[in-house]
Amino acid sequence: MSLALVVMLPFMGAVIAPQFAQAGRTAIAIASSVPSLVALMTLFPYWERLAGGNAVIQHVEWLPQIGLSLSFRLDGLALLFALLILVIGILIILYARYYLKKHENVGKFYSLLLLFQGAMLGIVLSNNLLLMLVFWELTSVVSFLLISFWNHKQDARRGARMALAITGGGGLALMAGVLLIGQIVGSYELEVVLAAGDQIRAHALYPITLALILVGAFTKSAQFPFHFWLPHAMQAPTPVSAYLHSATMVKAGIFLMARLYPALAGTEQWFYMVSFTGMITLLIGAYVAMFKHDLKGLLAHSTVSHLGLITLLFGMGTKLAAVAAVFHVVNHATFKASLFMAAGIIDHETGTRDMRRINGLWRYMPHTATLAMVAAASMAGVPLLNGFISKEMFFAEALELNLPGIWAYLPPLVATLAGIFAVAYSARFIHDVFFNGQPKNLPVFPPHEPPRYMKIPVEILVFACLAVGMFPAFSVGPLLFIAASATLGGEVPDYTLAVAHGFNLPLLMSFAAFSGGLVMYSQRQRFFDFHERFKEIDEKAVFESVVTWVGNLSERVTNKLENGSLQRYALLLFLTAFTVTLWPLTELGFSIGSNELSPVDYPSALGALVLIGAAIGTVVMHRQRLTSLILLSVVGLLVAVAFATFSAPDLALTQLSVEVVTIILLVLSLFYLPAQTPVETTAFTRWRDVGIALAAGIGMTLVTLALLTRPFSSISEFFLENSKPGGGGTNVVNVILVDFRGFDTLGEITVLAIAALGIYSMMKYTKLQAPATDRLGNPWSKDPHPTMLMQISRPLLPLALMVSVFIFLRGHNLPGGGFIAGLITAVALISQYIASGVDWSEQRVKTPYQIVVALGVAIATLTGVGSYAFGYPFLTSWFTYASLPVIGKFELATAMIFDLGVYLTVVGATLLALTSLGKLSDPSTKVSASHNEGGV
Amino acid sequence: MKLEVVLPILIPLTAGALSLALWRSVRLQRLLGVLATGLLLAAGIWLMRSTVEQGFLVVEMGSWPAPYSIVFVSDVLSAIMVLLTGIIGLAIAIYSLASTPTGHEKFGYYPLMHLLLAGVAGAFLTGDIFNLFVWFEVMLLASFALLTLGGERAQMEGAIKYVTLNLFSSALFLSAVGLLYGMVGTLNMADIAQKVNSLEDPGMITVVSLMFMISFGIKAAAFPLFFWLPASYHTPQVAVSALFAGLLTKVGVYALYRVFTLMFTQDIGYTHNILLWAAALTMLTGVLGAAAQFEFRRILSFHIVSQIGYMLLGLALLSPLALVGGVFYIMHHIIVKTNLFLVSGITYRLMGSYELKDLGGFYRQRPYLAILFLIPALSLAGIPPLSGFFAKFIVVRASLESSEYLIAAIALVVGLLTLYSMIKIWAEVFWKQVPDHVTDGGGLNSGLQPRHTLAYYAPVIGLATCTLIIGLYGQPIYSLAEMAAHQLMNPQLYIDAVLGGQAK
Repeated sequence: MSLALVVMLPFMGAVIAPQFAQAGRTAIAIASSVPSLVALMTLFPYWERLAGGNAVIQHVEWLPQIGLSLSFRLDGLALLFALLILVIGILIILYARYYLKKHENVGKFYSLLLLFQGAMLGIVLSNNLLLMLVFWELTSVVSFLLISFWNHKQDARRGARMALAITGGGGLALMAGVLLIGQIVGSYELEVVLAAGDQIRAHALYPITLALILVGAFTKSAQFPFHFWLPHAMQAPTPVSAYLHSATMVKAGIFLMARLYPALAGTEQWFYMVSFTGMITLLIGAYVAMFKHDLKGLLAHSTVSHLGLITLLFGMGTKLAAVAAVFHVVNHATFKASLFMAAGIIDHETGTRDMRRINGLWRYMPHTATLAMVAAASMAGVPLLNGFISKEMFFAEALELNLPGIWAYLPPLVATLAGIFAVAYSARFIHDVFFNGQPKNLPVFPPHEPPRYMKIPVEILVFACLAVGMFPAFSVGPLLFIAASATLGGEVPDYTLAVAHGFNLPLLMSFAAFSGGLVMYSQRQRFFDFHERFKEIDEKAVFESVVTWVGNLSERVTNKLENGSLQRYALLLFLTAFTVTLWPLTELGFSIGSNELSPVDYPSALGALVLIGAAIGTVVMHRQRLTSLILLSVVGLLVAVAFATFSAPDLALTQLSVEVVTIILLVLSLFYLPAQTPVETTAFTRWRDVGIALAAGIGMTLVTLALLTRPFSSISEFFLENSKPGGGGTNVVNVILVDFRGFDTLGEITVLAIAALGIYSMMKYTKLQAPATDRLGNPWSKDPHPTMLMQISRPLLPLALMVSVFIFLRGHNLPGGGFIAGLITAVALISQYIASGVDWSEQRVKTPYQIVVALGVAIATLTGVGSYAFGYPFLTSWFTYASLPVIGKFELATAMIFDLGVYLTVVGATLLALTSLGKLSDPSTKVSASHNEGGV
Repeated sequence: MKLEVVLPILIPLTAGALSLALWRSVRLQRLLGVLATGLLLAAGIWLMRSTVEQGFLVVEMGSWPAPYSIVFVSDVLSAIMVLLTGIIGLAIAIYSLASTPTGHEKFGYYPLMHLLLAGVAGAFLTGDIFNLFVWFEVMLLASFALLTLGGERAQMEGAIKYVTLNLFSSALFLSAVGLLYGMVGTLNMADIAQKVNSLEDPGMITVVSLMFMISFGIKAAAFPLFFWLPASYHTPQVAVSALFAGLLTKVGVYALYRVFTLMFTQDIGYTHNILLWAAALTMLTGVLGAAAQFEFRRILSFHIVSQIGYMLLGLALLSPLALVGGVFYIMHHIIVKTNLFLVSGITYRLMGSYELKDLGGFYRQRPYLAILFLIPALSLAGIPPLSGFFAKFIVVRASLESSEYLIAAIALVVGLLTLYSMIKIWAEVFWKQVPDHVTDGGGLNSGLQPRHTLAYYAPVIGLATCTLIIGLYGQPIYSLAEMAAHQLMNPQLYIDAVLGGQAK
């Protein structure tokens, strides 16, 4: 468990440390370093158990089904990285205490720094590739937030976005790669994966797996062609640059290659992909570093170059090269972190990082200068410093690389060339900054030494450079050995860590690099002139333009597809439906089934013809709104007739009353609309639409025809048999509505209730101008409620209500029921509104229709719930027969209460809808409901 | 008794009727809103517990035996969806206390909200294809009414597209039900599933199944049927947007999951291949659409579309793992998406705009809101260890295991573009300073009214917590998805539960 604790500690710290922000920068720095210290103490006892390449594995399940476990692994490689992360972490925390200004949000800074530390520890200590992936992505996100710590600066925001886009994208590639490894090996646990190297390399998916993993590693470790994000990440505060973007996070990709070395390395693909990428990166980074005037820019490109170097070493594929790679990771981390910190101090004390302005600082800050110069010398590879030793190893390995033919000269040549550049830019760092005349109009003048404690982290790291450089075997030997053995998965080749290996070819290369580099620096002006002839590529601009390009592309695609036209959307919809069904439909063909077709009788044929004619008429006449409405009502009436013909009187009745209400509703709406629709379509679109309509219609016809001519059996037999004995009614349709499928009815009356409510609320917000005249320009009649109509409709009301009661009561056994009765009542009441006006009617209807609707839905629902009281499921009905004098025997059924609910809902909803529409015309009731964002 | 199967409908239905009856008292309606959605959540939990225990819960309405009655069936997928409905319902009800304009409250906001929830829950639970249509209609009308509530011009324009295209869906659905009934003579889904396999012409079934696919595809906002969504979701007041964003399209997805695992698996080579390409194109067009937007809610709306693609992908691959991924994705998405809309509502309330160019300064002035945005936003983009990472991971893994490499690549690239989109919002709304043309720092300096703060933040915090829990403690969630997938992969279990042994 303690390894999990090591990872968790910084996360806990990230939550706790900001609480100390109020207590000052020193307090929060101390609080923030506690997790690192505790973690170091936790790791220390493991040291002995790791000798000989052993690993400690601790395992807790997290999401075992997908192979994700909280499985941690401590071996030499992990330990090496963990120590780097923790030790440099502590130094950075101390350094940042002085770097950050008082008014800055130190709580956020330390919190993010610790989050990063935890995530990074997670990467190196994971024994599970998925877990590693989790932490991997986390470092990308935290790095994003840290780069943009000064988010008021646009460059910082852009740099952060770019870094996230590149590393995040790489993370996705890594995810795919990890998934493929899991698929090949069957597990994400490292011990399984590492042991299955041969299996992975032999698998058909190996090349793509390798490529994906490497894209992950290369993006994170800023390898060509993904290297450009790193220099732009330098917008971060310097402690972040030193920690994330030189010492640790950018090494995550390197770590990944080291970690998976036994599983993936040793093939031609590995060799070519990794070593060439490394070589190119090494050269490009070193070359560009020469020409950067920005102190951090120089260091960033140098970092890119050194990362390339390490990658190249891993790519070489020999065991010695791998040892050298691991060694250089440590060396680079120490000298580069100290250089960044020194650069931060200089920036802090002079107010600028431009090397054309900062000159001659030796005089002002000799202490810092000494430290920086030692570190820079190490970067250049000066003997007696750690950079020298690993560089010699690198040269030696470059010579060993057996490429065919003339290519054999390439690696040593590249190595030497990169060495020359490295010496040149290191020389520039030293000479330009600390010597080379006087400072030129510095924002802060004169510069002086930073606070004492700000230098301590630099001193410690520089001391490490010296110690490793002079006593390599003693200082770093044991750690390197276990790390190397963990990387290689066992055997470590013979190597000696010594300050010098006598006079040999690598030393000669070093010598060449030194003399070449110094010559180059002395002739720098020529190189600058040469370099300036080429237009420098601003990667950020390129990146932004790519982003813009993607944005524009998507805008074009989107606008093409989503142009705001409803007709277009409907067209796409029909085309889709047509396209996907076309193939199965053609397969089906004109398959008419075995049923015999019934003979055509004239009334039916006539009805069908009228139906078709009315439907076509509705479409053709659709610009004359009233006319097409009348034609539409013909369609509705004919459907009712058809129902009646095919022995469905209930449906016919319902259809009839629905038709009436619908037409009234539509007429009410038409009142506000112009009488004619303007022509907005071209002939082409009309004919296109005719084609689509035909296609859709023919398709439906074919399917229906195929269907109706096939033998059919259904569940309806059951309903016929059980209607009377089970449901207590002889009208099967009604029993289905209120009993067998009463639940549907409950839903449908809810729909009705919602529709009415919707119309009501919509009308409350609608401001419509009622036309002052009719369409011919005549004023409306002064007497809107003709006496005749009034006189006839009033006595009709009780009659109509009686009819509806009758229809309601007989519904269970004969055509009728709550729905139809409700509609009849509604029509009767509506006619009062029409005849006598809204005001007159409203005075006589005290209950708001909302309440009626609510009551209806509630009664229907509660009838259903009632059956639970008797231990039966929802909506179970019950009936009995009772007899009263005079009336005789009659039936009592819970279904009738349900039907009452239906009745009330229908009445309430219909009237609510129609009166809401009708009331619009009455100016006094117009609500000027502006959009009042009032809230509670 | 299995009351828990019916309660998720009864509670919102009764609450809807009651709210309507309490027409004149907005206060009581508000109280009822929180109370009833709270009860709905409780019922969802109850249902989940019983379903996990028993596998399937079947209620035959009116005590008539299946397949003659309408049945309510709760399997693990249904229970998951109902539980999520409860969670989102409660979050929205609380949020509405602060965010809903008084006028909306007076003119039926709460009854409509309850009835919408009833429709959603009904669709998740019913085992009857016609009954499913009924609940779809309840949903459609309730959502349409909510969409138009307020009567702004933009709302009307969006609502017309919404309702027209959705009515196409309904018409197609109803025709398909009719045709299907004509073939198998039954409406009970288990019964249909049993009978379609013994039909003589499977070609007919394929045609009908495609009609269902188009109809539900419209509801689910799949490519190229999604246009109603970005046309309308950004127009109503934000609680409504959030409610829709979380639940509505997922009902379509659910329906696809239901019918294309239970009923229509006879021509997988054709139907599910269509789904596969629809999934890929939905992912892509959605995310590209989002990249072209600069309005907070429009961006989010397009991402709904994009993510529907991932869910469809799970169904299209039709492997156990893929279904786990799909179900996991649905769970993750509902919570995250609702939450993002809720956050957009807070920024709107503070600065009075959804346009990115009018927003800014939140990182500095509202750091906690920034965190509350980052959690769902990064989760949406699939950053570990948040819920979206696992959802995406499982789906991608399933595609790789089915050797659909191109689809897996698309899914990953879409993930990156989603991240880009979220970062766009982050950069504009949170990083950027308050824009110069905004006077007095918008409302940022004054802030929310104290009595609104809790109602605004509590749902956001709650949903963010859910996201974190799904991510960090995913095992129970995964197990649920696994159980759901197992049931979906074995439709016979469903058929037996509904028809075999006449489970009482």
